[in-house]
Amino acid sequence: MSRDLAERDDGIKRRDFLRVVGVTGAGATLTGCSTAEVEKLLPYVVADESITPGVATWYTTVCGGCAAECGMWVRTREGRAVKVEGNPDHPVSEGGLCSRGHATLQHLYHPDRFHGPMIREGTVFRQGTWDEAERLLAARITRAQNPANTVDGGSVMFVGGHMSPSMGRLVDEFVGALGGTRVDYDAVTDAPLLEAARIAYGTSSLPRYDIGAARLLLSFGYDFVESGASPVEHGKGLSRMSAVNDESHAKGSFVFLGPRLSLTGLNADEWIPIRAGSEASVALGMASAIAGPGSTGPYANLLQSYSPAAAAQAAGVSVEAIEALARRFASESPSLALGPGTGAHHRNATAANLAVMILNDVAGNVGTTVHYDPAAAGGLAGASSSFSGIEDATRAMASGEVGVAFVHGTNRAYSLPASAGFREAFERVPFKVSFASAMDETSALADLILPDRHFLESWGDSTPRPGVMAIQQPVMQAVPLFDSKQAGDTLLAVGGHLGQDLGAATFYEYLRGHHLAAAGGSTEDFESGWRQALRLGAVEFDAPDAAVPQLRSPQTALTFDAPAFDGSGDLTLIVHPSARFGGGEFSNSPWLQELPDPVSKITWHSWLEMNPATGEERGIRTGDIVTVASPHGSLEVPVWLYPGIREDAVALAMGGGHTGMGRYADGNGVNALDLLPAVAEQPSGALVTLATTVSVTATGRGRRLATIEGSSDQYDRPIAPAVQLALLGEAVEGAEEEHGELMAPQGVGGFVPVPAEGGAPAAFPLEGARHGEYAQAHEGPRWAMAIDLDKCTGCSACVTACQSENNVPWVGEEQVMMGRDMNWIRIERYYEHVDATQAGDLDVRFLPMLCQHCGNAPCEPVCPVFATYHTPEGVNAQVYNRCVGTRYCANNCPYKVRVFNWYRYTGDIPEPLNWQWNPDVTVRDNGVMEKCSFCMQRIRDAENRAALEEGRPVRDGEVVPACEQSCPAEAIVFGNIRDPNARVTQIVASERTYRVLDELINTQPAVNYLKKVTFHEVVSEAH
Amino acid sequence: MNRNWLIGGLAGVLALGALAFVQGGGAEGAGAEGEEAVLQPIAFPHDLHAGSEEGQANMDCQFCHFSAERSVDAGIPSVSTCWGCHQVVQGTNNPGEVAKIQGYWDRGEPIPWVRIYKISDHAHFPHMRHINAGLECQQCHGEVQEVGPEGLHTRSGIARSLFGADAGIGENGPVWGGDTMGWCIECHREPNPEGLQQASTDCAVCHY
Repeated sequence: MSRDLAERDDGIKRRDFLRVVGVTGAGATLTGCSTAEVEKLLPYVVADESITPGVATWYTTVCGGCAAECGMWVRTREGRAVKVEGNPDHPVSEGGLCSRGHATLQHLYHPDRFHGPMIREGTVFRQGTWDEAERLLAARITRAQNPANTVDGGSVMFVGGHMSPSMGRLVDEFVGALGGTRVDYDAVTDAPLLEAARIAYGTSSLPRYDIGAARLLLSFGYDFVESGASPVEHGKGLSRMSAVNDESHAKGSFVFLGPRLSLTGLNADEWIPIRAGSEASVALGMASAIAGPGSTGPYANLLQSYSPAAAAQAAGVSVEAIEALARRFASESPSLALGPGTGAHHRNATAANLAVMILNDVAGNVGTTVHYDPAAAGGLAGASSSFSGIEDATRAMASGEVGVAFVHGTNRAYSLPASAGFREAFERVPFKVSFASAMDETSALADLILPDRHFLESWGDSTPRPGVMAIQQPVMQAVPLFDSKQAGDTLLAVGGHLGQDLGAATFYEYLRGHHLAAAGGSTEDFESGWRQALRLGAVEFDAPDAAVPQLRSPQTALTFDAPAFDGSGDLTLIVHPSARFGGGEFSNSPWLQELPDPVSKITWHSWLEMNPATGEERGIRTGDIVTVASPHGSLEVPVWLYPGIREDAVALAMGGGHTGMGRYADGNGVNALDLLPAVAEQPSGALVTLATTVSVTATGRGRRLATIEGSSDQYDRPIAPAVQLALLGEAVEGAEEEHGELMAPQGVGGFVPVPAEGGAPAAFPLEGARHGEYAQAHEGPRWAMAIDLDKCTGCSACVTACQSENNVPWVGEEQVMMGRDMNWIRIERYYEHVDATQAGDLDVRFLPMLCQHCGNAPCEPVCPVFATYHTPEGVNAQVYNRCVGTRYCANNCPYKVRVFNWYRYTGDIPEPLNWQWNPDVTVRDNGVMEKCSFCMQRIRDAENRAALEEGRPVRDGEVVPACEQSCPAEAIVFGNIRDPNARVTQIVASERTYRVLDELINTQPAVNYLKKVTFHEVVSEAH
Repeated sequence: MNRNWLIGGLAGVLALGALAFVQGGGAEGAGAEGEEAVLQPIAFPHDLHAGSEEGQANMDCQFCHFSAERSVDAGIPSVSTCWGCHQVVQGTNNPGEVAKIQGYWDRGEPIPWVRIYKISDHAHFPHMRHINAGLECQQCHGEVQEVGPEGLHTRSGIARSLFGADAGIGENGPVWGGDTMGWCIECHREPNPEGLQQASTDCAVCHY
């Protein structure tokens, strides 16, 4: 058929063919239909003034995803949240939002949420009413507290996770009135860092870092871009400090010290692959070299016993590397050392954190790049205590002292090692109450479940740092399918039944009452401040000046040596928080399950990272399933060979191996905690994650990894080229001329063609090319994008943002293995130079790859039905209703950015998860090709608003695609390249600008990349 | 080799089936024969509200379809909008129908209008751009102010009431001469005062 169609004069014309296809299509549809489905058009009874049908209403709130508490903008349509984004007015997150933040929207509409309070009856749960549940709870508390009750009596215990300051206060008052105790614990909370700050400076909050101000940044294994205390803020800081300034050519450098390159590590300019557990030795060795022999201060004696030589010995790297780094750390001021993070919580983790603080202190960084707040500010530090608190709680539960136990915002039965015995102890408590909004491993053991509201349905507050206060406000009415109640309201109601007076009838009143009191009781000031906080999402006020604190003498005996590891295996096991799931609390989101891990590019399942040399020694290849055995457990997992890990270590991410969390989490991967001992680090009490050695043996079986990676090697093609810093500016003049020409838009197609080497420029439009009625003179905008690869950290926030904005479905593990993943944007990761055996330059390139909107697009001429074509505004458009699914375009796309709906992926999405869909974007069905549209709906929305306001054209910065909006690194800029003052035009004028493969195949993309800048000489690629 | 006969034959078989169905549905223009009547909860007369004849209220369309000039959706009036007038205006023609409004209002229920027309998911029609370009509602919707309550009772009735007397009924609702997009395009292609095409015919203006 296609051949006949290609020969246009052969009888049947394209339009005839379309008509035929149209009629047959209609016939098929009609005969498949029964009577028309009756759909109702329901008006409001009383129209809500804040809602205009078809127009988005935006609210500010605070992301409840993790303790970082980033500012959020929420787009609602007809009273329903459909998209979350970063709030640019928030002083901490400044408009960025991570993948996990985006995915919180899926928890709001998650089909696994409870439909009401659940009351245990024997082995099953029965759905009850709120009044019934609250009265039952009050009665059980009264009964448990009756001193005469020797059967199921006992104290009240509240096990919490991360909660807002006001909620924490309410819990304390509620539990305190009952004489009970509250224990908070978060598996990925940095308790050793907190404890070290207390020992060193007497503060009770986490140190704050000004990463962007540093010239030299060191990370001792701290994965602050993807995990850590505030991933968006710190990722932005890294991008600001390490990205080159195109005018001054200033660029900070980043050195990563650790046994495994996390995503953060992959962004480093230099990798010193120190042995696991040797961070304290290295930090103190460097500090002693900087301080010199005559140093004073409380740690002078300690530093005397350390030296770069001893550090090199402990770390297994050269002494020269450590000495050189120490010199730079002192001279390239202000510098900053971070870490070690959660992945390096070994038995001496507090000492290791203290060592890094001492290093910062001797280099004079305290007060410039690192700040210690004198008093706890709530927020980040919160009341989170530690694993040792959980140990005490577990003992109390196991001994029968506890009569009623509450679990809020945490899933202890999953997030503690099996050997901690939490599950068994919790089961012994006579009455167990969970506030989980969906079933998880802990709630399955409970007697009563009081489903909490999602944070987008709740009130709360946030103090992300001293001097910043943000209000979390409900952006919509609670999802009506789920009869949920905010935990604060539940506690107030139960307190009422128990005769408590907590000073408010609702949590909203309680919250406002507290802030009113904090404002000094002046109602007028308070009201305006409150409204401002709601409108902007956060208010800043004068924080007390943080005096530069003095390092204190240690009051605790600490061991700075490398810790002992359990077992006699020959490989050290690193267990680290997942870049997608954190400690596992995000695992039930299909967006995050299908998001390729930023390091491995693997989706859905777990993998064991192992150095290729280690693998070769044992005959293990990527995809081989191995048994990993520690003294505490064993599990089977496929191997992924990774050059970014030392040969004497293997690594597993947290977050896999759920058994009772929900349909998208259960059965995917393994729970790495099963290999760990239930040991608390002293004195911080953190759960030890770097604790054991393992043996790895092949099972003889293998599997195909569900990875989206094609190759980690560019094969010397300039896909993601780099330029050495020293060479910047040398070729500026020629480059400007060339780019000026490249950027000039022309006709309907691309830009002025690239001059062919040694010959005349290729003609454009190409000889014989026909653009039909679209080839009209067009004076409107010409959309283009610039992506700065020196800023991109590979964090993948854009991937989830795009999925959320554009109704991109997920396809599942099997389909990913067949190469049918649907994401419109992916982050390519290429290794240029990664050496785990010695300290040296590191060169890993990230490349966000999306439709390049080629001016001379290979996909367009091969489409038999003109479903893909070029718009006059320079966008390569895909018309879904024209597409008949030949997939010729995808075959002809050199960038592999077109994805095909092989099945009804969107139709398979269960209610109410599909409520999230963006009503401004077509939901594609099977048989349709799709790809990045440059967020066409946002372009149209900006145009509509501009036309309605004053009939003006769209201004620069009014069209912000979802990827640019969420990018914490500010690497993506979109705009009209025909406007000489547009940001995108000015950025593209950089000498670093290039277009992927353009010089080879003359595709003339509208997406312009700015080369990564390296300190070392770039040898590999043609550029 | 010429395979046109294959395409033609295949298409023919299917087209016959389709034709049979369309005729069975009793579509072409005429209306309700064999067509299932869709009963609206209230017999709403557009003519009494928007008509300018004697005894008609001559209201602006956007009094009820309130968001047409600022939103992609024209908007369906809330019950309070209906009740706002009808608690005073009892109605002389059909007070029984008017009384139903009070029922919905008192019960706090929305009026469950039956949806008779919906634009396809893959096409985006922004009402406000058309209103702001100076179009009258009638240019697309026909002489709505002349349509009585029966206009909302059937699909073909709504086709006529919303899109004029020569509208037909198609697979998904009302159509104009059988080629719906062509009807949009025709207007978009009209020259503006400067002699240029008055609105874009770029696919991605509506399809994204």
